Amino acid sequence: MEKELMKIKDEVATSISSISDKKELIELKLQILGKSGKLTNLLKGMRDVPAEDRPRVGALVNEVRNFIENAISEKEKYFADIELQNKLNNEKVDITLPSKGIKTGALHPVSSMIDRFVDICVNLGFSVVEGPEIESDYYNFEAVNTPKSHPARDMQDSFYFTDNILLRTQTTAVQARAMQEMKPPFKIIVPGKTYRNDSDATHSPMFNQLEGLVVDENVSMADLKNLLSVMMKRLFGEDTKIRFRPSYFPFTEPSIEVDVSCPQCHGEGCKLCKGSGYLELLGAGVVNPKVLDFNGINSKKYKGFAFGFGIDRASMLFTGNTDMRSLFKNDIRFLKQSR
Amino acid sequence: MKVTYKWLKEYVNINCSPEELAEKLTKSGFEVEEMFYQNQYLHDVVVGKILKIEKHPQADRLVVCQVDIGDKTTQIITAATNVFEGAVVPVSLPGANLVNGINIQPTKMRGVESNGMFCSGHELGIDENYFEGAGVDGILILPNDMKIGQPIEKALALDDVVLDVYITPNRPDCLSVIGIAREVAAILGESVKKVNLNYPIDIYSKDTIHDYIDVDNQTENCPRYCMGAVTNVKIERSPLWMRARLNAVGIKPINTIVDITNYVLVEMGQPLHAFDQSLINDSKIIVRQAKDGEEIEVLNGFSYKLDEKDIVIADKDKPMVIAGIIGGTNSCINNDTKTCVIESAVFDLKSIRTSSRKFGIRTDSSARNEKGINLANAEVGLSRALSLVSKLNCGKVVRGIIDKARDKNEKRVLNGSITHINEILGVEIPTSKISQILNSLEIENKIVGDKIECIIPPYRQDIENDNDLAEEIIRLYGYDVYDKTDNVLFKNSPITESVVNKKYSLERTFRNALVEKGFYEIMTFSFGSNDFVKKMLLNDDRANPIKISNPLGENFAYMRTTMANSLFSTAVYNLSVGNKEMRIFECAKVFKAKELPLKELPEETNILGMYVCENGFDFFNLKNVFESLLIKISDKLKLKRSSEPYLHPGISADIFINGEKVGCFGKVHPLVCKNYELPNESFYGELNTSLLSTLPEKKIVLKQVSKYPNVERDLAVVVDEEIEVGQMLDAIKSACGNLFFDVSLFDVYRNESLGVNKKSLAFNIILSDLNKTLTDEEINKTVNKVLKSLQFRFGAVLR
Repeated sequence: MEKELMKIKDEVATSISSISDKKELIELKLQILGKSGKLTNLLKGMRDVPAEDRPRVGALVNEVRNFIENAISEKEKYFADIELQNKLNNEKVDITLPSKGIKTGALHPVSSMIDRFVDICVNLGFSVVEGPEIESDYYNFEAVNTPKSHPARDMQDSFYFTDNILLRTQTTAVQARAMQEMKPPFKIIVPGKTYRNDSDATHSPMFNQLEGLVVDENVSMADLKNLLSVMMKRLFGEDTKIRFRPSYFPFTEPSIEVDVSCPQCHGEGCKLCKGSGYLELLGAGVVNPKVLDFNGINSKKYKGFAFGFGIDRASMLFTGNTDMRSLFKNDIRFLKQSR
Repeated sequence: MKVTYKWLKEYVNINCSPEELAEKLTKSGFEVEEMFYQNQYLHDVVVGKILKIEKHPQADRLVVCQVDIGDKTTQIITAATNVFEGAVVPVSLPGANLVNGINIQPTKMRGVESNGMFCSGHELGIDENYFEGAGVDGILILPNDMKIGQPIEKALALDDVVLDVYITPNRPDCLSVIGIAREVAAILGESVKKVNLNYPIDIYSKDTIHDYIDVDNQTENCPRYCMGAVTNVKIERSPLWMRARLNAVGIKPINTIVDITNYVLVEMGQPLHAFDQSLINDSKIIVRQAKDGEEIEVLNGFSYKLDEKDIVIADKDKPMVIAGIIGGTNSCINNDTKTCVIESAVFDLKSIRTSSRKFGIRTDSSARNEKGINLANAEVGLSRALSLVSKLNCGKVVRGIIDKARDKNEKRVLNGSITHINEILGVEIPTSKISQILNSLEIENKIVGDKIECIIPPYRQDIENDNDLAEEIIRLYGYDVYDKTDNVLFKNSPITESVVNKKYSLERTFRNALVEKGFYEIMTFSFGSNDFVKKMLLNDDRANPIKISNPLGENFAYMRTTMANSLFSTAVYNLSVGNKEMRIFECAKVFKAKELPLKELPEETNILGMYVCENGFDFFNLKNVFESLLIKISDKLKLKRSSEPYLHPGISADIFINGEKVGCFGKVHPLVCKNYELPNESFYGELNTSLLSTLPEKKIVLKQVSKYPNVERDLAVVVDEEIEVGQMLDAIKSACGNLFFDVSLFDVYRNESLGVNKKSLAFNIILSDLNKTLTDEEINKTVNKVLKSLQFRFGAVLR
């Protein structure tokens, strides 16, 4: 009996390694473990084993049976794995075929620039405020220290509807509205369309401005520098630097132009910045106390600073676009690039 | 404002290069926009003398010249016909690059060597006004006494550097050489040299100014009017140095007297006007407002009709000058002028501005007069002109001047606070430095403790308060100071809370959602032609767009009253460049006047408009877009057939929330498609985001769902074609009562067997109970109720 068992075990051990497909394995399983399989038959002779030998033989039987069952199930798993592998290999797709469903569109490069900047400002405690695009001369000019016949009106050619109603030339108009309506301290950011009677590769009769205004008791030119420094870093990258140059706007005093280190060459000098390493981007300054007083904010108590820039130009700098007109042609082939 | 390096050097010691000067000016607020070396194209051009001219052996039209160029003699071949032996001429030698692009190289012409070229005035960039002979068709023949071999830039005084400086509107005093010189002096720590204002008077003559002219200043709009007289006038070419200066700054030299007036205009920023005294009737100048309808012919060759708002300089019979803007032809300096009177005045800047705009005339004079001239300048300018008359020896200055002053500028005292100035700047600037900077700007000052007392010179009308002082200080102290300050944000101010802008946020949500749905955002002009009214078949208030009174052109004249036109036009453009399919949208404003012409600001409404033309895209795809955008706002959308004239009446809907129309969408009307040349399968829709952003926020309430399985039942009924599914869905929902969970339409079937004008609709109804599994009995009862309701309300028959 024991010899027989060992023989079957050896037989299985030998034959299982030479089995090459699932069918043969099923046959082998049948031959050994089936109803009239070799092992089954042999075990029928258990009752002839003397009682004192039974525990030993029984243990051997279990061992042999376990061995055989394991061997077969291992082999079964081996075949199943191969089968799955083959199946997966056959199900392979050309992953370079185009995707299905709706292809994502894109925001306009200018408005996505506005969104970027608004996010930066909102995170710094600014509120988004808007105003009318058709504006009164009063808010657009007068309330921001540019009375009629002020020489600074030459800086901007306006589109007029009547003597006193025009397309706003600057989002600064909203500054005056905000000062009249809001209670300091406040920080506002004003995105919006502005219009000037001007059209060429770098000027569009309609363009977009972003204007920021801070009114508080203790703000200074130094705060302006720090704030713009942070904002420009977030907009153009951590290594961005800014510098101030004196300038003039009727609504700020002192007034400055703000140059930003060129986002293309990082200040090294390139074609975009004409070798200077810097690009003129913002106008800014300390709010002229006349503007505060005119709009009902006590300039003895409060100070302010303001900054503004052409968002179209900023987006052009950001994307290397050289023709402002392309922004308003809306050719889908052009817009697709900003996905 | 153009100034030259040498002109500035006449008034300030400048010990840096023009480039360094330009950088320093820019850093202190006077941006040098352009710098131009006059001699840029004049190197390797010298004065030469033609010694000998011989015929070219091989060419009839050429001659071979031996030319003395100072250190040697060289051979040059020319085709010019106005040269002669002994002629002094400009010679460009090998290496020269002339302004017209010619590069000179030694060459052989028909076998004979030529080592250069003679130049015409044109090739040197000058004309007859600048130099006699420069305008002839041929070589510029120079005066015989010119030093042979000297560089032409020296010989022709073309060796200056021109700086074009941008003068900000607050600094009209710097529209002059002297003004910029003052700034240069402040920057360099130098002082400005005195302008020569002296002129000799013939002490033996008894004549005074009153023997030549009288002035009656009748208008309030001329606060100061000064006048001097010059006899024995010599009208001739002014000397080269003066022509050179004028030419450099872009002013055409004309003759002695006119050049002097222009010279003073540039140098002192004081516009002058010279009259031929013999052409002033009664020798009396009247400064007055023009009479309505009065006409004057001026020096630009045109005539203008004046009105009471214009100021004129007149005699008793005629206006002679549009004051401060342009002179008339009837009294100007001419070749026969023997005696002239020179005006130096200040006019009301608003009047000048208005008149200059009205006539469309901008001159160097008006540009300065309309920005404001300091009253003291009038007298100084006149003295300077008279001193130049004597310097040029082109006339005898008459004793005395007339000075009709309504007002004289005095120096002003301004009291400021050092602390406040430093607070504005956010940096501590040492008081000694503050004092020094202000002194350099000729602002005398005295600092006692926190107080600073300044004496502001009359030409600095722009300095009125601490902010103005702060600017003067910081621009000369240098903005670099902020590179060294700390970077603490809002060090001394409280945190402000950011208030959410609902409209902006809503639009942003919509815009981002549309991008995910394959849309491209566009940005179009808010104005355009008004042909959209016809093209879009508009007949309501949108048919009356607001018109710009000074548009770029008729095609940019009308403010949009609808977004649809912008979307359609953009679609047309894209189709024309081959983009056949598109999903586009724009969020922008439309403008509606409450009344026309405008009396008050119009109504501005933000509209999100979208357009689609795409194979297979239909009304229901578009409906899906709107549903998914609006689901965040309201579950209670109501659709009604749209009344928009530009949409297909059968395939379009208006969207209502809480009874208000918030938008519309649908297929574009076939006539509109035709008008625009859009494909027939065009779809448009819009939402009023101004209105939507005012709606109360949608409140989300989460109810528990049943833990027992839902029950589904399908129900197919036949109804008349006109019956709308939406109402049936509502009916099913209400018939199901508490057990309702969901209902959807899954099939629409039409067949003759159903009968004429009939359709079969198949609904999938899902019932649910929170507390138990529904029994067959309950289910059947509910389905029967549904069926009854459909039969009763819509005449539905079970299929």
